[in-house]
Amino acid sequence: MSGNTPETIEELRTSFFYGSRSDLNFKFVRDLSDVEFGEFLSDLFAATARVGDGGDPLEPVQVAYNWQVQAYAGHLGVPANFPHRKDDTPITAMTKALSDAKIMVLTSSGHFVEGDDPEPFGEKNMTQAEAEARIAEFVKSEATLSAIPMDTPADKIRVRHGGYPVQAAAMDSQVVLPLEHLHSMVADGMIGSLTKNAYSFVGATAQGHIKRSYGPAWAQIAKDQGADAVLLVPI
Amino acid sequence: MPTVSVYVKPFGHIPGLMGLSRSLITQHPMGRPLGAPGDSQRQSAVIEMALGLLTSDGPVITEFPEPYRLP
Repeated sequence: MSGNTPETIEELRTSFFYGSRSDLNFKFVRDLSDVEFGEFLSDLFAATARVGDGGDPLEPVQVAYNWQVQAYAGHLGVPANFPHRKDDTPITAMTKALSDAKIMVLTSSGHFVEGDDPEPFGEKNMTQAEAEARIAEFVKSEATLSAIPMDTPADKIRVRHGGYPVQAAAMDSQVVLPLEHLHSMVADGMIGSLTKNAYSFVGATAQGHIKRSYGPAWAQIAKDQGADAVLLVPI
Repeated sequence: MPTVSVYVKPFGHIPGLMGLSRSLITQHPMGRPLGAPGDSQRQSAVIEMALGLLTSDGPVITEFPEPYRLP
């Protein structure tokens, strides 16, 4: 925006959604009305001011969270028209106790092991910023599944995903890829064992491919690894 | 294959729409489904509750009872 050109409230809102002020923590404000956006800012400013006076430092986070919930409540449009809607709920029962079960974890968080970069679009060392700039390409692309050996040290795990705020996942992979916690649960006897690998892909991908091709293939990976159940952590 | 999913509440309406078998919804902001960075206790508690849902033979969507917190 030129410094002399007024910015509309709509332009301000949408600037957080991959625009001039892009911040994936707040991209949801694009889906608020102008009135709602004003209310969100009012709530956020008030909560922030209270922190300055000794209030709960979590309150601004809670304000943003509440508005994020509200903004995304209708982001899929009319439920009846949602293309991935299912009217039945298939379920497979466990065949053994959890304490005897082998668990696999699969996330759509975009994690991979250092040195095993999936190199989207053939790009080496794509940065997070570049991934965000190319989000439109990602959502039309085919997914690449990265295998992450369950014994991978935390400092060798990388994350890159243009569709969600990765700061937390980059600081601590266990916010979405709980390798250490799962090992602890095996040691404690809560679960029997773990598959050799966890798996992750960038969930900003062509969903139709997931349904038709990759989903069944990835389910077969779980079976081939001897999994008795899969923990899914979508982002 | 038995599965259980963990979703943050901003997307907590998706499991029901997509007919997912077992889902745990966390009152966490986008990008932090299992908890805040460094909050090992919360992360463990969420995973334990999620894995516990695997014992359900019927569809279940439930919410982790505690709000987001910082470590």
